[in-house]
Amino acid sequence: MAAVEESFKSISAAEFFYKNKEIAGFSNPARALYQTVRELVENSLDATENYGILPRIKVSIREMEVVPEGAYYEVIVEDNGVGIPPKYVPQAFAQLLFSSKYVLKQSRGMFGLGAKMALLYAQITTGQPAEVVVAPIKSKRVYGFKLKIDIGENRPVVLGFSTTSNISGTHGTSVRLITLGDWSRSKQRIYEYMKRTAIVAPYAEILFRDPEGNYLLFERSIEKLPPPARETLPHPHGVDIETMKSVLKSMPNSPLAETLVKSFQGVGTATALRILEEARLDPEKMSGDLAEQEVEALVRVMRSYRDVKPPRADHLSYLGEEIIVAGLKKVFEPEFVAAVTRRPSVYEGHAFVVEAGVAYGGKVPVADRPLVLRYANKIPLLYDEGSDVVFKIIDEKRGIDFKVYEVEFPAPLIILTHICSTKIPYKGVGKEAVADVPEIEEEVEAALRGVLRELRSYILRKRRELEEVERAVEIAKYIPEVASSLSKMYGVDPREVSVKLLEMLNSRLRSFKIADLGSVVV
Amino acid sequence: MSTGGYTTRVDAGARERALKILHEKFYDVLKDVVEGRVPRLVIKKRTLSNTIYDPERKLLLLGDATFERSFLDLREARKFMQTMLMASIIYEALTQGEYPTIRDLYYRGKHTIRYRKIPSKAVGEENTWDEQAESDSVLRDIEVFINVLREEMLVLSKEKGKVVGDLRIRSGDDVIDLSKMGHGAYAIEPTPDLIDFVEVNADFVLVVEKDAVFQQLHRIGFWKRYRAVLVTSAGQPDRATRRFVRRLNEELGLPVYVLTDSDPYGYYIYSVFKTGSITLSYESERLATPRARFLGVMMTDIFGSRKLGKSPYLSEEERRSFIIRAKERDVKRAKELREYPWFRSERWQIELDEFLARRVKLEIEALASKGLKFLADRYVPEKIEVGDWID
Ligand SMILES: Nc1ncnc2c1ncn2[C@@H]1O[C@H](COP(=O)(O)OP(=O)(O)OP(=O)(O)O)[C@@H](O)[C@H]1O
Ligand SMILES: [Mg+2]
Repeated sequence: MAAVEESFKSISAAEFFYKNKEIAGFSNPARALYQTVRELVENSLDATENYGILPRIKVSIREMEVVPEGAYYEVIVEDNGVGIPPKYVPQAFAQLLFSSKYVLKQSRGMFGLGAKMALLYAQITTGQPAEVVVAPIKSKRVYGFKLKIDIGENRPVVLGFSTTSNISGTHGTSVRLITLGDWSRSKQRIYEYMKRTAIVAPYAEILFRDPEGNYLLFERSIEKLPPPARETLPHPHGVDIETMKSVLKSMPNSPLAETLVKSFQGVGTATALRILEEARLDPEKMSGDLAEQEVEALVRVMRSYRDVKPPRADHLSYLGEEIIVAGLKKVFEPEFVAAVTRRPSVYEGHAFVVEAGVAYGGKVPVADRPLVLRYANKIPLLYDEGSDVVFKIIDEKRGIDFKVYEVEFPAPLIILTHICSTKIPYKGVGKEAVADVPEIEEEVEAALRGVLRELRSYILRKRRELEEVERAVEIAKYIPEVASSLSKMYGVDPREVSVKLLEMLNSRLRSFKIADLGSVVV
Repeated sequence: MSTGGYTTRVDAGARERALKILHEKFYDVLKDVVEGRVPRLVIKKRTLSNTIYDPERKLLLLGDATFERSFLDLREARKFMQTMLMASIIYEALTQGEYPTIRDLYYRGKHTIRYRKIPSKAVGEENTWDEQAESDSVLRDIEVFINVLREEMLVLSKEKGKVVGDLRIRSGDDVIDLSKMGHGAYAIEPTPDLIDFVEVNADFVLVVEKDAVFQQLHRIGFWKRYRAVLVTSAGQPDRATRRFVRRLNEELGLPVYVLTDSDPYGYYIYSVFKTGSITLSYESERLATPRARFLGVMMTDIFGSRKLGKSPYLSEEERRSFIIRAKERDVKRAKELREYPWFRSERWQIELDEFLARRVKLEIEALASKGLKFLADRYVPEKIEVGDWID
């Protein structure tokens, strides 16, 4: 057998994702169209609400040309966000793994991939460049770019650039792509995505034009934005060797104790000294002088150090009960709605907050199972629901028993869960399912049980009220008969007797009154 | 007050009395309504636990336990409505000079209430009452509540008691001679209180449970020969028969002897005449005849009794052909009777123990089969003569 010479080579990030599009959600034309809309809308929401701007977003999809695999569509997403400084635009949109969101601060974006994957897919299916127009906040000018990606080199290729003066003083970003898609097979998902986005963003105004020419407007129903997230320092429990090395490298000439205090949250001088003592390290030693084993020892001690405050949640931007309630009310017009925001919790050193909402009755459709709306960092999760942590919690056989909460299916029940964290344990970069980390699972379950308890007391109260109404009718229906009997024996006016008896009955009812006997007696 | 042209003077008086009480007693309901109080009726309970045996007066009486029927009480609202409805129907019948039967009352009150449910708005339908048992039940409540029996309210029911004997009575505007009934008999009217005794030639009353035996005794002229008033209840005695017998005893001073089958059901019929019935104990006061005597047929008549020094009326051979094996339920019933306070006397315990030991029973017809003459000319007169009855 002849020896085969193995050939080794390295590929760029762009090439890797070009070859593995499906791990970012671009597996076929239908899914790609949905993913394109999603990535662009999420960037727009990040660019607005994270900076205290009430979002106003326009999404338009137009069919350009029918092809065997589907059709070419023009996708335009436009926002009133902060925009992007022109010098970063090419990289932000045409260089994979370039992002402003690689910081410890919650946002929808996380990987530095979304916009680029949309561009890449458009480019390889239609060959058309992307057009990006930005008006950075307070900028006197508006900048236009025509961009493509050099896949082999993972570099932006700027095919055109133009600039005009910003006469109206607007700000924001507009992205236009021509991409391969399949509207008929993604229509339902895209609509669902829009609707679910609107539920947790009742403070946003979103106008959607679909390829059939229909317009759908989600109006703003609340003027309140969730509190913006602030960037935060890493927590000692979440540190690893790489993070530690880069921290030490960033301040090589400061003593170890000072570096720890300045680079980690929850670490004061006293804590720093105790950590270093446990790791047998000299607090005065310069940070740049640590040997490999010393770094490892320090990380080991820090990850397991007990006496430190749990991670702070300043960098998290959860929705809050008011927004969840407003969103569910606006979209479903339910009879009952409740929401709970749990206190921050931690897994592997990452703070996270879980929220849950419940909507019941009213226009909520009756179904055999609860309709589950999953969110992570305000992103609706639509695919892969079976493998999501939430589904494990409400699993029919092993999960929460809804009967305990007085809900018997079929029932009109919607459940909403929202997990926020700077590090959501997604099962893929397509951001569709959250892994079942025990700490998160516990919190989600507690949040769900919390809202379900509120639902239960509502259902019980309503049932009591209904029973009271029924009981009242059971008595009221006899009033005319009793009145007429008394009238026959004593010549009194039966109407007067009826009125008296009804008054008496009403004075005993707590939740409602029978306005007049005519509503009961036929 | 209008009374119909067919009504006699006696009836008119009864009407007026009943109307007055009905009007007064239910007036409280109206007052409650007018003054803004929840209308309610406080009525004595007609339950076994509220049935008390008064050993002094030898009567089954209604105890003092009451229950409240309030209109705003969900469980009582329907019954309250029915009670008021029944009261108004009786009231109208009384003022209009009518004689409704209990079945008439049922039909007069029965109609459909249509109502709308909340919140479903579905129309529900419900009858004021569905079965006569329901209207009968509230009628009994009214009797207890106003302490007036339905006969006194001129409410009739089908009565089956009959009487013959040398006496003349006034019923309505007619005088009837009960010795001139031919082979028939006078059917006791549903309102025996409105009967006047005009003339009586009799020494005692014999009440026979069985209609057939009554007829046999009537045909051979028993009542003439022994100066008796002969009565039959034709089974379980109805109220009119009981009231009539009571009046014969109380007003005319005639001793009353009761002749029934020799089995627990026969014994109980006697006790209904004497002390009253458990389910209708409120009537005992007016219907029971506490001095009524049980003449037979006794177990000791059949088997004799060494303890009582009594020889049997039946020979060994006759016993073999006449007596019947008691059924399981007869035994069960006998055991119940043995526990009733009014059967606790030593004399009754002997009879019941004998029954339970022998587990056989005997119908009065069997004595007639032995010979009608035996029954009429020996058994009955002899037992009365020697005082072989139970008090
Ligand atoms: N509409 C926009 N307005 C302002 N900045 C934007 C907009 N779209 C993209 N950006 C900038 O471009 C960067 C890259 O966006 P991209 O969607 O590729 O990655 P990401 O949002 O950081 O992460 P993810 O892959 O999770 O979406 C963002 O980090 C943001 O700084
Ligand atoms: Mg993004």
